[in-house]
Amino acid sequence: MADTETLQIKNVHKTFRVGKQDIDVLEDINLNVSAGEFVSVIGASGCGKTTFLRLLVGLEGEYQGDILLNGKRLNGPSINRGIVFQNHRLLPWLTIEKNVGLGLESKKGNNKAQIVQDHIDLVGLKGFCKSYPYQLSGGMSQRAAIARALVNRPEILLLDEPLGALDSLTRMYMQNELERIWKLENITAVMVTHDVEEAVYLSDRIVIMSCRPGKIKRIIPVPLSRPRDRASYDFMRIKEEVLKEFHLQAEEHFAYSI
Amino acid sequence: MRRQIMESAGIQRLFAAVTTLLPAQPAAEAISTSFKLQTPSISRVAIPQVVKTALLGGLIPLLLLVAWEAVTRIELVPSQLLVPPRQVLATFLDLLNSGELQGHLKISILRVLLGFSLGTSAGFLVGAILGLSKRAEKYGGPFFRVLLQIPILGWMPFLLLILGFGELFKIVFISLGAFYPMTLNTFEGIKGVSNEYREVGRVFEFGRLKLLRKIILPAAVPSIFTGIRLGLGTAWMLIVGAELVAATEGVGYMMTMGRQLFQMDVVMVGVVLVGATGYLMNHILKIAEQRLLHWRNTMHA
Amino acid sequence: MNYLDYVSRKISDVYSKSIVLLIIFAAWWLVGAYKLADPTILPPPSKILRTLLELAKEGDLVFHIKMSILRVIKGFLIGGTLGFVLGILMGLSKTAEKLVGPLFHAVRQVPLLGWMPLIVLWCGIGETSKVVFIAIGALYPMVLNTFEGVRGISREYLEVARVFEFKQLKLITTIILPAALPNILTGVRFSLTISWMLVVGAEIFSVSAGGLGDMIWSARDTFRMDIVIVGLIIITLIGITLSKSVKLLETYFLQWRKTSH
Ligand SMILES: Nc1ncnc2c1ncn2[C@@H]1O[C@H](COP(=O)(O)OP(=O)(O)O)[C@@H](O)[C@H]1O
Ligand SMILES: [Mg+2]
Repeated sequence: MADTETLQIKNVHKTFRVGKQDIDVLEDINLNVSAGEFVSVIGASGCGKTTFLRLLVGLEGEYQGDILLNGKRLNGPSINRGIVFQNHRLLPWLTIEKNVGLGLESKKGNNKAQIVQDHIDLVGLKGFCKSYPYQLSGGMSQRAAIARALVNRPEILLLDEPLGALDSLTRMYMQNELERIWKLENITAVMVTHDVEEAVYLSDRIVIMSCRPGKIKRIIPVPLSRPRDRASYDFMRIKEEVLKEFHLQAEEHFAYSI
Repeated sequence: MRRQIMESAGIQRLFAAVTTLLPAQPAAEAISTSFKLQTPSISRVAIPQVVKTALLGGLIPLLLLVAWEAVTRIELVPSQLLVPPRQVLATFLDLLNSGELQGHLKISILRVLLGFSLGTSAGFLVGAILGLSKRAEKYGGPFFRVLLQIPILGWMPFLLLILGFGELFKIVFISLGAFYPMTLNTFEGIKGVSNEYREVGRVFEFGRLKLLRKIILPAAVPSIFTGIRLGLGTAWMLIVGAELVAATEGVGYMMTMGRQLFQMDVVMVGVVLVGATGYLMNHILKIAEQRLLHWRNTMHA
Repeated sequence: MNYLDYVSRKISDVYSKSIVLLIIFAAWWLVGAYKLADPTILPPPSKILRTLLELAKEGDLVFHIKMSILRVIKGFLIGGTLGFVLGILMGLSKTAEKLVGPLFHAVRQVPLLGWMPLIVLWCGIGETSKVVFIAIGALYPMVLNTFEGVRGISREYLEVARVFEFKQLKLITTIILPAALPNILTGVRFSLTISWMLVVGAEIFSVSAGGLGDMIWSARDTFRMDIVIVGLIIITLIGITLSKSVKLLETYFLQWRKTSH
């Protein structure tokens, strides 16, 4: 069992020091993620989702507890984990091609250009290699950011509300794209989102977080076959279940489900 | 506020790891707890931050002073070119006791204040007219734009030819120095008043005067103040320049005489004196600005 | 679309832009023509033009321009480079900032012209003193703007560098320099503008052979207002050209900034 679990998060606590006070942001986080799994983290804004991802990628140095990748404790950022930030963070002074190749340059290899091109094709940005970020739409920028995160073939892809800034139609389309890429790359993914439908559509498991301090409230598995039908009964049922955790379920629904 | 702190903490964290140019970062910043710094934690407790900053900042000046003293002791360079620090101090005290220093300083400051008030007032008027009236900007703008491109020091021979070497030249020259930045900043300040504020005035049907008094001028005041400070700075620089060539008293004259008589000590006292005076004048204006513009802090936070 | 409209708007634009200048020019010309003012104090436009041509023909003008520009280039390169390095160092390292910052800000309080007597004492009245003087003036804006640029870099970009495990050199070349470039170029522009003003001052305050400052200063000795005015015009034109060229550089190098902000 433990062998297939790429990522193990054990009793993780995280506090921020603001002024003279320690503020608990994450408390008692326990989670195992298996290789190739797609896990979503969902929770209200400000409950520490971003902090959680930053811990996984290694941008937050000090924490209590253990985060193990293949049994080894994480120590700072590494290119075996890729991240797509909340806003794309493409470097505005570099072309898309250069942005995507950003992480690759530390490796030696003469097929660098080919790798970059492959990933640009993968996210469907063929023909935009020489464009600058200001010339891309929001959806395209996120695609480029995903390509940039994947280019080192990381074991884990971390996504922080990658589609949060997009309009709902583009978002649905990008969800399909994300699923396609995830399958093709056969990668372990941890995605933060605040969109319940997105979580149900994409995830194998949904981690629901409660606020202040951020704790794991419940983990809901999504045992649906892919591609998923957003209108199916099972899909709706799981969506309801997630929403229930946020007390957002419609009142009258109680009435006829009694 | 916190955001800024966080950002600088982020940079600092990064460079703590990256910068090997200089000794490791002092880890005393409480914010950078989230990144492992290799600095031993002893330094965190031992010396308070303020003291450390003062020590670091004073290090190079102290070394320079020691080097200066050493060089003059072993007479590495001719004493004409570098007098010992003691002598500069002694000269300063001499000049102070004889009242010579105060005399020169007083004259220079009087000239600057006179020229500065003239130039600033003129600059305010021109800037305000160009900023308020579309027509004035349309017709007069190009002229002033060209005028303000003329390097100020270039005016010197021009004005000297017209006005001679007297007091008038210095006053006009200095006012020109204050006029430049004041005109520009008043104009830009007024032009930069957001249309949203103007519309507030229009909603309440303010008359022209009320709009000016209640909305446009207050909103332009920060920029105008910048103009005032820059103007005073420029004026102070120019008076030194004007006195270098055309005066028989004033700090600039004192320095020129020092140079001609190879009195290095007098020149050095002069350099420090003009620096300190300039700093003080700017500082006084800054305090006044803070008092007057206390609302700005909350607005931009 | 509406071509006539466009033409008439253009014409009225040119008219309003030049009318005041034209009136001043006409008044100046009339004063000269009717001998209303002492021609040594206010030489008529025709005289200015003749002097300009004369100076140009004899090669004096080119010589003076060359002298001044050479000095500016030397001073700017020395001061600007030093300022760039200092600004980067102070921006990158808090320790460097604490070490050099206070001294830098103290020295900066001395009005530039206040350095002149000291520089002349140390370096004589030759080329060196002028270049040093210009270098000091070029230094300040470069340090301040570069420092601002480096310190202002968003934490977000620096984190991207950490995620990809950039080495120091790569961090500087791919993130820090490009991100600080807008401020650095502003620094270059201010630096050059100040250098150009100071070369005139340097040539006035420390007796020199050649240079536009020297040209107008000597003209004052011989009561040649016409030469002074020609000099002022040339100095102004070159100053505008310098700052416009850097602006062009800015638009060229900062295309990526377009609507991304
Ligand atoms: N560097 C930091 N210093 C202090 N507090 C922080 C820092 N980063 C995040 N926080 C705080 O931690 C909490 C969780 O933030 P975050 O992880 O960004 O939430 P989310 O992504 O779920 O919206 C917030 O209250 C935020 O203010
Ligand atoms: Mg977040």
